[in-house]
Amino acid sequence: MAPDDVITATAGDLLGAPGHHAEGDPEDAAVVGGSPLRLAARRLRRDRGALAFGVIFLLLVAACLAAPLWANEVAHTTVSQNHLTDTVEQDGEQVNVVGFDGVPIGPTWEGEFFLGADQNGRDNMVRLLYGGRNSLLIGVIAALITTLLGVLIGVLAGYFRGWTDAVISRGMDILWAFPVILLGIALGTSLALGGLQLGPISISGDSLAIPIMVISVVYIPYLARPIRGQVLALREKEFVEAARAQGMGSWRIMRSEILPNISSTLLVFFPLLFANAILLEAALSFLGAGVRPPNPSWGTMISEGVDRIVTAPYLAIVPGAMLVLTVLALNVFGDGIRDALDPRAKIKAKG
Amino acid sequence: MSLKVDGPGRRSRLLATLAALALASSATLAACGDDDDDGSGGATAEGGEITISQSSQPDYLDPALSYTVNGWEPMWLVYTPLLTYAHEEGTAGAELIPGLAEDLPEVSEDGLTYTLTLRDGLTYSDGTDVVASDFERTIQRVLNLESGGAPFYQVIEGAEDYLAGNDPEADISGIETDDESGEITITLTEADSSFANVLAMNFAGLVPGDTEFKNLTESPPPGVGTYEITESVPNRQFVMERVDGFADLGLEIPEASIDTITTQIIKNPQQSTQDVLNGELDYQQDPPPADLKPTVIEQADDRYEEFTTSSTYYFFMNHDVAPFDDPLVREAVNYGVDKPALARLFAGELAPGCSFLPPGMPGYDEAFDTTECPYGDPTQPPDIAKAQDLLKQAGADGTAVTVYGNTDDPTPAVTQAYADMLNEIGLDAEVELLDGGVYFQTVGNAKTEAQTGFTNWFQDFPHPLNFYFLVDGDTIQPTNNQNFGNVNDPKINDTIDELSLETDLEAVADQWAELDRYLIEPPQSSIVPYGHRKLATFVSERIDFESIIQHPVYQNDYSSFALKEGEE
Repeated sequence: MAPDDVITATAGDLLGAPGHHAEGDPEDAAVVGGSPLRLAARRLRRDRGALAFGVIFLLLVAACLAAPLWANEVAHTTVSQNHLTDTVEQDGEQVNVVGFDGVPIGPTWEGEFFLGADQNGRDNMVRLLYGGRNSLLIGVIAALITTLLGVLIGVLAGYFRGWTDAVISRGMDILWAFPVILLGIALGTSLALGGLQLGPISISGDSLAIPIMVISVVYIPYLARPIRGQVLALREKEFVEAARAQGMGSWRIMRSEILPNISSTLLVFFPLLFANAILLEAALSFLGAGVRPPNPSWGTMISEGVDRIVTAPYLAIVPGAMLVLTVLALNVFGDGIRDALDPRAKIKAKG
Repeated sequence: MSLKVDGPGRRSRLLATLAALALASSATLAACGDDDDDGSGGATAEGGEITISQSSQPDYLDPALSYTVNGWEPMWLVYTPLLTYAHEEGTAGAELIPGLAEDLPEVSEDGLTYTLTLRDGLTYSDGTDVVASDFERTIQRVLNLESGGAPFYQVIEGAEDYLAGNDPEADISGIETDDESGEITITLTEADSSFANVLAMNFAGLVPGDTEFKNLTESPPPGVGTYEITESVPNRQFVMERVDGFADLGLEIPEASIDTITTQIIKNPQQSTQDVLNGELDYQQDPPPADLKPTVIEQADDRYEEFTTSSTYYFFMNHDVAPFDDPLVREAVNYGVDKPALARLFAGELAPGCSFLPPGMPGYDEAFDTTECPYGDPTQPPDIAKAQDLLKQAGADGTAVTVYGNTDDPTPAVTQAYADMLNEIGLDAEVELLDGGVYFQTVGNAKTEAQTGFTNWFQDFPHPLNFYFLVDGDTIQPTNNQNFGNVNDPKINDTIDELSLETDLEAVADQWAELDRYLIEPPQSSIVPYGHRKLATFVSERIDFESIIQHPVYQNDYSSFALKEGEE
């Protein structure tokens, strides 16, 4: 991700007048007069590729939300139920769910064990859907927390400047100096060992809150820095000076003048943060520093599946494919939002 | 008395290190397809070089410090103690024989004094003469370097004072040596019938009297053995070369055939397996990964063999914490654990069983372990209905239970399966997986109050005491407790005390077997054993597979490796 570039591309759009859009995209001349967000929504509706991937993403979310339905009504099992010595009928024969040599059954393409079983004889389709719930949940909550904290820190640093900015920016520099994965592993492993005890707050090591916290923290600088840059420019604008002249306090200016002007940036960033959070969760879980078994996530499923890559390759490939599809959908949809908000960037790219 | 062993090396963490010491009973070997290997293979060539692999660097290449099979398997042939084991398979290999000593020790009537005499004319691989006082330096190093093996030797009189004094050169009052006569006298603070086995451990492999008090992994000291380590580059490789003139020393230890063995550290076990299949490596110290086992069996069935080790995998149940303080609940769990299901999680490399003492151990009762298991044949499905009934009788239906396990393969899968089994009989089980590096310390800390969980034990030496200290009430301690279930039955404690005084192990083997039944049977149902781990021998086509000895204590015996005739 290159957040600065994204911000540079969108900032002009956010700060500028509707005339920018009319200049950039002749089609928009007809709708001059609508709000920037309404114009963007209109452009997004015309971007069929982005919309298609947006729909795919929604379908993935819906499928994952329906995990209990699939488990109860179709697979007739639970996410944690082992079927080590059970058999299932396949092509008229009773087949072991897990062989004596530990090799699990492959996809049956029927209700039970639709995508095969894992080494504990658990239904892989059920695990995939429940794992998706965890991956998506971690991704969205982590992205929301990152956005919240990133905006707070970025706006404070950009608006107040001076020592506030110096302290916050150096802190962000330190955080940014660490490779994301390395920092994630360090935080994830240390927190997973003993959980987190912060006064009355107690989080156990295997709680989903741990990877959520880790992921949201490591991505803060990636949002806070460009927001800070944008606020530095915004605070010098005439409408902010006007507000100040009217006697508005700093907090009110930030809330009513600054924040609305960075909302489009956040719209662009959010899907990207979401996608990156899902990827980081998968990476951390794969490395044993994210979601802790027996909780499934696509990352833990890939990690467990790698040990069986020769005899049961689907165990790693299926969650891997889901991960790719989800991140691709989020990225393409995110690009669509960016193009809708800043058509000039699209034209430059085409040029 | 019981031994208190802090060494982490005897429990599996990674597959590479889990394989502590294998003890294959001849009966079990026959059961898993032993090819009537009598150690005499087909036509073999003398000499030659082979390259083998380990998936991780041995913990140490220093006999005072190493406490894993990665270290012991090669170093057994480099550092011979005063006593050692015959280079044989099965129970014959568990027999103590004189090593550098002329004979087995003379033990005083009170069991406190061991007297041995060093053989004449012994020299280390560098040509230095071996003298009796080297033994004291050897034990001083084990104690001073705070080796994992130190607790075994703290029973020697003066060992505690030596440790407290913190002077490496200080005398250990319980060891008297005479370089002229070669006589070595060891005095213990309390009788310990397993002490002869302790003298045969790799820690006690003699090193010269001027050996430094530091970890010598990078330049291992000379020893008396059929091989010497001539090169050691940690995390890359180490080289063992055959010692000329070893046969002239007159030890009861066979000479090796291969001239040079280069052990490479190849962290990817899949790669090692492929290399052995292709002939680029000659032996893989770790068993092939489960994922490649079907390929190995398909392509190289004639040079792959599994054997059951002297190990027991079991679940502890905390007798001090509800609901496992109720014997009925422990009995229910024993009825409800599906042993053949768990064996599948080990890719079949687990022989289901229900005895605590493992195959090959004096006191092991094969009938009790298999067909006469009080909870039903361990190769058959469990009696869930009975388990559910017992749990209801105990009023423990629906009780919340946290099942502890660690993150080292295959423990997560085993722990999750066990929790699922507990749920099936009526408990409300949740899994708590801890990192392998802190797991045993955590569940061994009284404050954790771990209710139940995964554990295992591989023998250090073939003596029941090496297992029974794990269920001896006298060994319970608030931290680093190895008796995870706090088993504290007066009859078990007294019997251990009584049997530990008996030096003739064979004479009391039946009593150990009886104790094993008492431990497992209702109403005690103290622990839930579910099987004994299998390991494998897997070599290249160049090696004469028939000649390989799977030693019960030190696993695959490199000195028995030989190239087929015509191989270079």
